[in-house]
Amino acid sequence: MNQELIDRYLYAVTRRMPKAKQEDVAQELRGLIDDMLAERCGDRTPEEKDIRIVLTELGSPQDLFNKYDEDGGKCLIGQPYYSTYKSVLKIVFIAVAVGMTIASMILCLVEPMGVWKTVGTWLGNVYNGLLSGFAIVTVLFAFFYKKSVPLGQPFNFDDLPPVPKKKETISKGECYAGIGLSVVFLVVFLTAPQIFCAILTETKQVIPIFDPAMVRQTWYLIVLFAACGITREIVKLMEGRYNKTVLVTKVVCNIASAVLSIWWLRGFDLMNPEFVGSISALFRGDAEFIIRIFSNFQLFFLGCILFALVLDTLEGIIKTVRK
Amino acid sequence: MNAEETVAGLKQELRRGTLILLVLSQLRKPTYGYSLVKSLSESGIPMDANTLYPLLRRLEGQGLLKSQWDTGENKPRKYYQITPEGQLVLEETKAYWKQLSTQVDKLLEEEV
Repeated sequence: MNQELIDRYLYAVTRRMPKAKQEDVAQELRGLIDDMLAERCGDRTPEEKDIRIVLTELGSPQDLFNKYDEDGGKCLIGQPYYSTYKSVLKIVFIAVAVGMTIASMILCLVEPMGVWKTVGTWLGNVYNGLLSGFAIVTVLFAFFYKKSVPLGQPFNFDDLPPVPKKKETISKGECYAGIGLSVVFLVVFLTAPQIFCAILTETKQVIPIFDPAMVRQTWYLIVLFAACGITREIVKLMEGRYNKTVLVTKVVCNIASAVLSIWWLRGFDLMNPEFVGSISALFRGDAEFIIRIFSNFQLFFLGCILFALVLDTLEGIIKTVRK
Repeated sequence: MNAEETVAGLKQELRRGTLILLVLSQLRKPTYGYSLVKSLSESGIPMDANTLYPLLRRLEGQGLLKSQWDTGENKPRKYYQITPEGQLVLEETKAYWKQLSTQVDKLLEEEV
């Protein structure tokens, strides 16, 4: 008996359900299909044709899923997105709090101020960060959810996706870590760009590499850059495996990230003039190479980002093709 | 919309309202989905499995039914049974249905 066709059908029905429900519904429907086949075939072993007839009688996986998901399309963020939305929100909240705390500590070291002012600024930043994080995550998920509610379409057995093997699936922890790190980076970099700095041991002087005012002025580009990274991870989380959707999103997000980086690093003078001057003075003559890197730091930084994006895209292509 | 379509739509709506009542009434003893499909169909109330299975799960979610897997037989099956809360809902809805249908019948009779 072609168990694979049944497995693929059940996977297509249940893949967008909450994790806790998937296995139970699949097992119950498997029993139903068995009963329907037994009634149809009696003692004879069911052939592929019988399975196709029974599954057609049950209807398209999408229709069956819709019957299990009565509220589908009626809310801002429904299942299966809601479960992931809650987890991502938790990660983002933790990352914002951690990031803001790190940023406040850096600010406190660079520009010392009174205790009360420090605590007040920290609380204010955390509050604003949580609100922004909540808004960005909610808007992203509402957008994905609206896009994902498919219209009724006839189904074709050959279009049923194969059930993924264990190693093909994407690790959720990896995606959550990616989202968490993106948010921590975003928060720290926007609040305390001074995190990238040179510390001159002789004079105990701290010189930020970037001009904090310029970095804050271009905040929207940095937020969009981080949003591209988060979008990439959310799509991976929702799909749960390397497929065309994941690859296309990855390529589109990486191209967008590359354009944003070029715009940011070529279009604005982000370096702290004091830093460039002191580096040249420090290495005077004996480290031509280092001076050259730091004098063209924006170009060097852009090169690193583009290289990382190309590597990430290639990794995505290889993982998708290899499966 | 022609008359035929209107009738089909009305029939479907009338059915939808009564299906839950019927399903609750048939689950005094633990029963699995497909055997309920069969028994309803034998009583002249055909109901598609793809409607009944999600409905059973929804009623369970509302606390009107409880379920238990029976893995003893060669095929594991999920058995559903009415809960005390479901019983209460059933009794009240049944009383309402009887009252409503008597009155509807009376009015329809008068019409003739």
